[in-house]
Amino acid sequence: MVVLLVAAIAVYRDQNTLRILALWVVALVLSMLLFNYHVTSSLDLSF
Amino acid sequence: MTDVSAEITSEDASGATAPEPPTNPLLSSFAFWGFVVFILAYCGTLLGAFAVQLVGGEFPCPLCMLQRYAMILATIPAMWIVLEALRGTLTRGRYVRSIGMSIVAACAGSVFATRQILLHILPGDPGYGSAVLGLHLYTWALITFQIVIVFCGVMALLNRHAVPVAPSGSVARLAAKAVVWLFLGVIVANVVAIIVLEGVAWVLPDNPTQYNLLTQLGIG
Repeated sequence: MVVLLVAAIAVYRDQNTLRILALWVVALVLSMLLFNYHVTSSLDLSF
Repeated sequence: MTDVSAEITSEDASGATAPEPPTNPLLSSFAFWGFVVFILAYCGTLLGAFAVQLVGGEFPCPLCMLQRYAMILATIPAMWIVLEALRGTLTRGRYVRSIGMSIVAACAGSVFATRQILLHILPGDPGYGSAVLGLHLYTWALITFQIVIVFCGVMALLNRHAVPVAPSGSVARLAAKAVVWLFLGVIVANVVAIIVLEGVAWVLPDNPTQYNLLTQLGIG
């Protein structure tokens, strides 16, 4: 979440495009890693 | 409304600029306000989630928080578009790049929301948290992500005719900036919320039942 805030502030302050893109990608990858961490069980879809 | 066709340029691999096809002023204005509404809509969604959390006394689970992250990830590029349009530095290439970023984030958010829907899809499962207008928050989240994908897809299709152009009126520009400020405030509120909820830990528990930081400080 802090990375997201830093990325948003970087956009607001019109910082270097590559820096903004890097921050955004890092935030996205961290979100995916968190998702992977929290997905610990297989889905029960036996209706 | 000024004709912006002469102002919009794109950069090729060598860095040289070339004139772009003419844009439709009405569509360009519509595109600008479309992205302002995009930001405002997600601010409302995130504030609504806060209302359920703080007024309804429901603690967001890790998947709920991940969906909030994805909403913010999808809205940051929209904010980028609005701010660059306000500064007059928005090019067609930058516009399409930002649209792509929003679509990628909305796809990630769709995965998070779908996982949570499937966790509670069996008949008789009450779902996580209370329903709002008949649907749980994660179902609403999936709907919003699909709307973002469709909206961004349509705006990408129209990019030859409409690159967002900021209005010249000071009140309209101030309104757009106020929406950006509101979004920044919502992000700050989420940062505070996750810190209070998580406390001194790297991740949230699967089923949070308390504000960990308050408990760790002995005031909760």
